[in-house]
Amino acid sequence: MTSVIRALRSEVPKFRRWTVLAGAAAMVTVSTFIAYLTFHQIVSGATGSEMSGLIAAFPTPQGLVAVIGQARSVIFAIALIQVSANLAAEWTQGTLRNVLVREPHRLRWLTGKMLAVVLFVLLSMLLTFVSSGTVILLLAQGQGIDTAAWTSGEGRRIFVEFLGNEMIAIIGVGALGTLIAVLTRSVGAAVGIGLAYVLVLEGIIAVVAPQVSRWFPGRVFNTIVGSTVPLVGPNPSQGYPAAMLASLVWIAGFAVISALVFRRQDVTA
Amino acid sequence: MNAIETHGLTKHFGRQTAVDDLSISIPAGSIAGFIGPNGAGKTTTLRLLLGLVRPNAGSATVLGCPFTGPDRYLPRVGALIEAPAFYPSLSGRTNLEVLALLGGHRGSRVTEMLETVDLSDRAGDRVGTYSLGMKQRLGVAMALLPDPELLVLDEPANGLDPLGIIAIRELLRRLRDQGKTILLSSHLLGELEHVADWLVMLHKGKALFCGSARVLLAQRVQLVVEPADTAQRELVTRVAKQAGYAVTQEAQTLRITCPTAFVDTLKRLTREAGSVDLTIRVQEASLEQLFLALVKGETS
Repeated sequence: MTSVIRALRSEVPKFRRWTVLAGAAAMVTVSTFIAYLTFHQIVSGATGSEMSGLIAAFPTPQGLVAVIGQARSVIFAIALIQVSANLAAEWTQGTLRNVLVREPHRLRWLTGKMLAVVLFVLLSMLLTFVSSGTVILLLAQGQGIDTAAWTSGEGRRIFVEFLGNEMIAIIGVGALGTLIAVLTRSVGAAVGIGLAYVLVLEGIIAVVAPQVSRWFPGRVFNTIVGSTVPLVGPNPSQGYPAAMLASLVWIAGFAVISALVFRRQDVTA
Repeated sequence: MNAIETHGLTKHFGRQTAVDDLSISIPAGSIAGFIGPNGAGKTTTLRLLLGLVRPNAGSATVLGCPFTGPDRYLPRVGALIEAPAFYPSLSGRTNLEVLALLGGHRGSRVTEMLETVDLSDRAGDRVGTYSLGMKQRLGVAMALLPDPELLVLDEPANGLDPLGIIAIRELLRRLRDQGKTILLSSHLLGELEHVADWLVMLHKGKALFCGSARVLLAQRVQLVVEPADTAQRELVTRVAKQAGYAVTQEAQTLRITCPTAFVDTLKRLTREAGSVDLTIRVQEASLEQLFLALVKGETS
């Protein structure tokens, strides 16, 4: 346990790198901007089928989450990039050989590192929702919109539930990013393959074989959040408990395969 | 006692054999030079010993522990493998702090090592702005962080200016005097000649030589033969080649790297062939000449 904590602590100074900070800043600013655009469209009376659900939900306890949750794809993508790039960079930069000489228990190092990176991404996500939520609340109050439903007990429950599911989804994305990084051992390949899989490949499979694709990792991570507030993601057709179980199985599977591969891998970088 | 011992160590990458049935030993408290051309298997051997790659066959012990359990000996080992690798957007100090936190070393060790390699004044700058020589010095500082019993350095003199090379040489001697074992891989054979008391010569994954540097250097000489005419030149060349030694042809002379005893043999054989008054000068062979001679297939 001590060596896992040491590995975790040794990751903290690495978060000072501008690429890591830029990723977190992008997550906060882009997501807040998307939330602002969504809010602006609603209050300016935009019409269209894609807006009707949001407009209907806006005054309800789901209203705030429906607005700030519109940037979830951006958060997913940045989280995947952050995790996979952070780990794969150890191969690309050749620093993996340094750390594995100092910490020969490979799995302890990987556990500590990924705990640190995923915690960092979760904190970025939390900061993103706090930032966009605060901005939307201030904008709404500034325009005299009633926000009582958003801050009511029911509104807070929905927010916490949304946050909990989003955290599990981000942990899932982190586990997927870890596996891709361990398999590819290159920043470019890890980021490229990760994004192509989540954003393109699963989308194509969803069109061709929707019944199969609903169990795919990107899909189930997405739907468990959508089950809280349908406006921020697709609803799990298999039901929330089944989607959650599938998510946990995927997370465990990714972690186990990553560990098995990493433990036996030759470090030639 | 040996700090490192390998027995039949073998590593393949696909069809390529990087390390081939390698059996070597390195005595504790010595500076061992690890010599070989590019692709000889030096770095792969070092990676095997550090638990970074897995062998296909063979066994080894490092600091008395089987190399299958690197967690038992790596806390006592410091290593700089290949080009120094760091996080370029972090400072030199932060890079060392990352490894100190990971290895559980006290924080003051970072400052001490930065002073040891004379990098204190640039410690706060991003590593991306460092010259190759500075990165190399930071790499040495990184390897020294755990105050290791065994120090493995792969080409530590790369990119260093003459003063830097002398400083590293003095540092290595100081560390040896403290009882540490140093395994030093380098293609600067002249540099190794200055510091190494043990030599391991590698070629195509196999050990050509493993033993005391003094013994090797004493056994080998370079003969500079000045033949009187073409016939004598051809005779000497034939005799040396038949004995298995490579001959380097120069305008007026022939150079033969061989054991000291071959001088008498050469004189006797040429005399028996009717050639007298052969002028032979005996020079001490450099490590580079010895290495080239061994690579060319000569036997001592």
